[in-house]
Amino acid sequence: MGSGRLNRIAAVAANTFRESVRERVFSNLLVFALLMTLSGLLLARLSIRQHEKIIRDVGLASIDVFGLMIALFLGVQLVNKEIERRSLFPLLAKPLSRGEFFLGKFAGLGLTLGANVGAMTAGLLLTLWASGARPDLGLLRAIYPLYLGHLLVVGLALFFSTLAGPTIAAVGSLCLVVAGRLSDVIRNAGSVLPGAPSWLIDAVYYLLPNFRNFDFKDRVAYGDAVSLATLAWVTLYAVVYLGTVLSAGLLAFRRRELQ
Amino acid sequence: MNDPAIEITGLAKSFRIGFLGRRKRPVLRGLDLVVHRNEIFGYLGPNGSGKTTTLKILMGLLRPDRGSARILGEPLDAPGWRQRIGFLPEHPYLYDYLTAAEYLDYAGRLFGLPAAVRAERAHELLRLLGLSRSAHLPLRRFSKGMTQRVGIAQALINDPELVFLDEPMSGLDPIGRHIVRGLIVDLKRRGKTVFLSTHILSDAETLCDRVALLRSGEILKLGHLDEILEVDVAHMEVLVTGVGAGIVEGLPGVLLRQAVGERWRLEVSEAELGSVVSALERARGRIRSVQPVRQSLEDYFFKEMAASGSLDQAWEAAD
Repeated sequence: MGSGRLNRIAAVAANTFRESVRERVFSNLLVFALLMTLSGLLLARLSIRQHEKIIRDVGLASIDVFGLMIALFLGVQLVNKEIERRSLFPLLAKPLSRGEFFLGKFAGLGLTLGANVGAMTAGLLLTLWASGARPDLGLLRAIYPLYLGHLLVVGLALFFSTLAGPTIAAVGSLCLVVAGRLSDVIRNAGSVLPGAPSWLIDAVYYLLPNFRNFDFKDRVAYGDAVSLATLAWVTLYAVVYLGTVLSAGLLAFRRRELQ
Repeated sequence: MNDPAIEITGLAKSFRIGFLGRRKRPVLRGLDLVVHRNEIFGYLGPNGSGKTTTLKILMGLLRPDRGSARILGEPLDAPGWRQRIGFLPEHPYLYDYLTAAEYLDYAGRLFGLPAAVRAERAHELLRLLGLSRSAHLPLRRFSKGMTQRVGIAQALINDPELVFLDEPMSGLDPIGRHIVRGLIVDLKRRGKTVFLSTHILSDAETLCDRVALLRSGEILKLGHLDEILEVDVAHMEVLVTGVGAGIVEGLPGVLLRQAVGERWRLEVSEAELGSVVSALERARGRIRSVQPVRQSLEDYFFKEMAASGSLDQAWEAAD
């Protein structure tokens, strides 16, 4: 990839990041998420022994849920808004390919989500410190996979938004996210639906994005170790799945007529 | 360098319509067109005639069904020409949360311009377009005319050889139109080529060296304005002030009377010109000018459209 191409992708990413962090929906969600994290302090007072675990639970859950919401809300609008408002038209007349634009948009929202996760992680560590607990960098072993999961949600939202409008893209992405979080249920569907062919259950299980792979919240909150090998495997899974989804989205976007 | 600025051959495009998209509505029907370097070329036609579709195909936003085009000597799928052109789409919508200066910087980055050059060009273009004081306001606070001017600025950020402008006067007030007209003339003076798609015929008449009249996806007429517009030497136009309607109504041999503010515009046959002028002078009228009647582009356009029954289609498209 030439430096000119990288510079153009970086320009789109920087612009997307700037737009996203100035969007009201982003700042509202971020403030609300930080408040939720801080509310762990109040909830911890209700518990006699486990106040530190409650703060960790609330903080990690906030990072998970609000990151997911930002990924979905902003992700489904990323390309669609540019097409509907025609802000994309003068850009594609410049030496910017559709692929560069698409990857730049993804990278820009990835940066936005990174900033969000960073701010919320700082909020969680501060909350732990304020409660008298030792801020634990081991929390990053749960937060990093959550961030990978959020990137995958952005990839799915981008894919759907190249095919359909924002509402359908949001519904489609949300359905996949919910199904992906219930992957254990799908795997055991054979016991609930005895007539269902096992090959079909396996196919659905392996084709859907398995968001359970990114969920180490409970293990880390209880202080259980998450090995680097596990994190490497999760990273590989995210890269392969994301690469496939982004390639499919890019293919659809390249073929799309921009009327 | 001697290649035409734009060369279009047999370009055709149709859109699928109907519930299942099984029917096709042709929008361009085998368009052939050559735009020379260093000319201001007017691309004219009513709504729905295919002007914007042509531009979208040239810019790679739509794929043609048939035909080909070359820009600055290169085929459409070659990447090089994009570095040397500028494009203003119709009704541009920019980014709510960026300032004008940030948006122009973004546009400049896509051309790979160094930061200092981007800053200098953005500053200069915003000054030329009367937006210096609004350079650091978010674009969501801009009026339609201001947004249009930022759109024009982004089309010029790379100092392009060829500029495509789709309805550049849309939403502009008289001052904005004056500025943009000056900018277009200046582009030609500096050796650039301007492809101006518009339905404001007076602008085309003022600015363009050559025009193409488009109707239902086909070129109705192409050429220099002097070739297209007839000069009718058999009829004379008299502009007069200082006379009332009663005097004007009583003049013999006047073919057309139009009150334009305090002036009257009269069309008179050449044979009756002497007697009409004498009668106006006797009534203490002031003759402002006498000249042969020149058909305006608007006259021509309406005559041709009416003759081909396209006016009804244009109204339907506008609705």
